[in-house]
Amino acid sequence: MTFLSLFFIVASLLSFVVAQLILKRAMVSTAQSGFRNLRFVSRVTLGITLMTISFFLTLGLLQRFDLSYLYPFQGLSVIIISLMAAVMLKEKLTLQLMIGALLISAGIVLVSLS
Amino acid sequence: MTKEPKRNQPFGFGNPWLQLALSVLCVLVSELLLKRGATDIADPSSAWSWTGINGLASPLVWWAILLIIASFISWLYVLRYIPLTIAFPLSRVVDILVPLGCWIFLGEFISARRWIGIGLVVVGLALVAKPIARIEERL
Repeated sequence: MTFLSLFFIVASLLSFVVAQLILKRAMVSTAQSGFRNLRFVSRVTLGITLMTISFFLTLGLLQRFDLSYLYPFQGLSVIIISLMAAVMLKEKLTLQLMIGALLISAGIVLVSLS
Repeated sequence: MTKEPKRNQPFGFGNPWLQLALSVLCVLVSELLLKRGATDIADPSSAWSWTGINGLASPLVWWAILLIIASFISWLYVLRYIPLTIAFPLSRVVDILVPLGCWIFLGEFISARRWIGIGLVVVGLALVAKPIARIEERL
């Protein structure tokens, strides 16, 4: 794996993770300020844009690598999203949730390796 | 499934756990439809096939696209109510449902290692789903 392909793998993963965090923040804000305001619309737009970028980066990677090679990186998204939601959205992350996320990621890696 | 402890919250169709299940179901069916549609239409000799655009000739692919949009909308709804640390790991149940669906509906083979992976995901999901009862009480 070259440095360039690692860069694109990380970029597609990160844009997906950040999109989820932004969408979560957008939807939580609707509880107070509803849907018709610039903040909500711009957050959702940014979230969808990032997901689209992640989608096309993945498509590009799929043309160069096997799905079974790329999928374990997607499995990591469970751990990364849990950690970042705890740090950036101040969600409560218990030990039990963390172990659960680790097991799910490990399982996804195993499923995709075989 | 462990994901529907219905208590105080939007009821019926608006229940976020129901929406999470629906979102996962839509993704699962869309993946199977995409595979079926792509196989039906496969034409490796055409240069266009590399872009995947020729897949749009299959009606199954269009149904899959509709389902993907539906799953995204219900996912946004889920995000409104359920913490990401819980909703996202649970949504990955699709990573074992897809291989199981391929096994049942598409007749694909599941190796021993893959079964072990599926087992690990199930245990992880159980761990994530367990604190839900407590969270539901707080809402």
